[in-house]
Amino acid sequence: METLLINALNGFCYGMLLFIISIGLTIIFGVMGVLNFAHGSFYMLGAYLCFQVVSSLHSFWLGLLIAPFLVGLLGLATEAAFLRPLYGRDASYQLLLTFGILLILDDGVKLIWGAGYHSVEPPRLLSGTIPILGNTYPIYSIFIAILGPITALALWLFFHKTSWGKMIRAAAMDREMASAIGINVPLLFTTVFFLGTFLAGMAGVLAAPLRAIGPAMGDNIIIAAFIVVVVGGLGSFKGAFIGAIILGLMDALGIQFVPQIQMALPYLILALVLLVRPKGLFGKE
Amino acid sequence: MKKGWIAGVMAWALALLLVMPGQGMASKGKIKIGSVYIFSGFAATYGQFAKQGLLLAVDEINKSGGILGKNLEVYFEDSHAKPPIALRAIRKLVYEKHVDFLIGLDSSGVAKGVVPYLKELKVPLIITHAATPDVTGSQCNRYTFRVSVNINQNVMAAAKIAAKTKAIKWTTVGPDYAFGHQSWEYFQKYLSKLNPKARFMKTVAFPKIATEDYSPYITSIMAAKPDGVFISLWSGDLVNFVKQANKMGFFKQKFTVLMSLGAATEVLYALKDQMPTGIWVGTRYWFLANNTPLNKHFVEAYKARYGVYPSYNAQNAYSAVYALKAAIEKAGTTEKMAVIKALEGLTFEAPAGKIYIRPQDHQGILNVTWGRTAADPNYPIRILKPMIIFNGAEVTPKAEETGCKMQ
Repeated sequence: METLLINALNGFCYGMLLFIISIGLTIIFGVMGVLNFAHGSFYMLGAYLCFQVVSSLHSFWLGLLIAPFLVGLLGLATEAAFLRPLYGRDASYQLLLTFGILLILDDGVKLIWGAGYHSVEPPRLLSGTIPILGNTYPIYSIFIAILGPITALALWLFFHKTSWGKMIRAAAMDREMASAIGINVPLLFTTVFFLGTFLAGMAGVLAAPLRAIGPAMGDNIIIAAFIVVVVGGLGSFKGAFIGAIILGLMDALGIQFVPQIQMALPYLILALVLLVRPKGLFGKE
Repeated sequence: MKKGWIAGVMAWALALLLVMPGQGMASKGKIKIGSVYIFSGFAATYGQFAKQGLLLAVDEINKSGGILGKNLEVYFEDSHAKPPIALRAIRKLVYEKHVDFLIGLDSSGVAKGVVPYLKELKVPLIITHAATPDVTGSQCNRYTFRVSVNINQNVMAAAKIAAKTKAIKWTTVGPDYAFGHQSWEYFQKYLSKLNPKARFMKTVAFPKIATEDYSPYITSIMAAKPDGVFISLWSGDLVNFVKQANKMGFFKQKFTVLMSLGAATEVLYALKDQMPTGIWVGTRYWFLANNTPLNKHFVEAYKARYGVYPSYNAQNAYSAVYALKAAIEKAGTTEKMAVIKALEGLTFEAPAGKIYIRPQDHQGILNVTWGRTAADPNYPIRILKPMIIFNGAEVTPKAEETGCKMQ
């Protein structure tokens, strides 16, 4: 029973990290209709930049402050320079472009930081453990579990309570109408891409203390993020949150109860959801 | 259109993941070596180390007059850690570049997928990393050699250490493919012979390659309360595991921990102080394991050129080039069958010590190093104190037991 609860907590913490990764992907898709294949690479870049900041300035918090911003800036420049000319074309153009960006970023980090593994330590404040149900549990995981809902709340407030957020939602619903009433849609899209890649970078920073920072570290997580987003419903905010929790819990509890098929579980869920609700759990018609 | 969209995206995604470029160079009138390692993705660091070690040896040999007066020329290809891509790369090297010899292969999965085709390609291959016993066992053939420590040898040494601890109940954490499962299988086989009291638990953990979150596995293993945990994770996976296990207090538990590839320098460099001290770790070469002039030369030359202490993959690739040199000189020709005959039963000097290539199964017999992790102010990484060196012969199964029928 204790193991079950601890594993549920494990799953929830992992789910929250998945949520922060997926939400950027789903926002970019929901508003712009672009499936950003390079999302995982922006995540990877966030982790590498965090490593760079930590090794030169010796502060994880500065890394959390600076790295996502830099990743977002790169995202912004990418959107303005390369993605903008492709709007209105077939979706496969955008996919090919973002895959090209993935390749460039993957090789780029190898050129700058080498092919080896790097590591970042969590900040001292979060590096200990606390007792939960007779087990020691890492504070850092709790930190992520709390940060997930906070991020969700902040984004919800942004989209529903600020005029910029409302404009984004308006543009997502009807691009032409939005521009007809004077909204600068291209600028809006650029900021959305900034926000999406910023979130990818932030997820990379948050993942950095948990894992090896190495080339192609984004390629696996992007598959998990795709599954979350498709299960939840492409472009759905709520869907990403619920989808991430489902996937996190399936992962942890699957390992405990059905380790033989645990690897297939995410794909089984994906297939099931697509069969029953092809638009995803919270997808709009 | 809407419905086809997701399927279309997935198809694109799959297609894109499968296609990636390789690399190559051109020359003629030399001894040509084709080399296949992982140069991209999560384990790209292994290809890089192998390439560095290999080029160091090639440059040394070419500077001192080559082999039989001929210079060496190397062509590298990327296996992407995938058997079909590795096979395609090898075919390209053999049919387009007309290489004389092959050196390479990370990953047991890749090796198992490639080795059966060597009889058809008729080019000798020296394996320097992939550790599955099968390629010098059930799959053995005249063209396949290995100069690096394999699973049998590494795990036999692990079992000898495990038998000396008080641990009775053992479990494992290993990658979910041939390597992880075979490591555990042999660990059980050897340890139960050495210590009949040893028990092997039902709760085991085989996370898939490139697992992001190990915490459920760590929780399950800790909850099962074993006496000993045998860990065969390697590369970035081992780094991920150790970092997450540290946070959950895994290494503060009472159980003994053995990591079959914990003393890989790329892992130690990545983890630095985060690598716990006092745990048993193995490797396929340890740069401080012997004081021979050759090893000193290799470590110094490697460190001067690349800035880090050599990993096992660097040493193994370096050794393979010298194995080839010794064999060609012994044969007096670069003719492939003659070199194969010369490699069989060859003993040559490597930084890792003397390596004997057993003619019956083509497996290299060399010393195997294990030790306990310790901090040392003179090194940026954890080193081994105490260090235990097993004589190759005492940790290698007899040729008759490998299942090899040489053809």
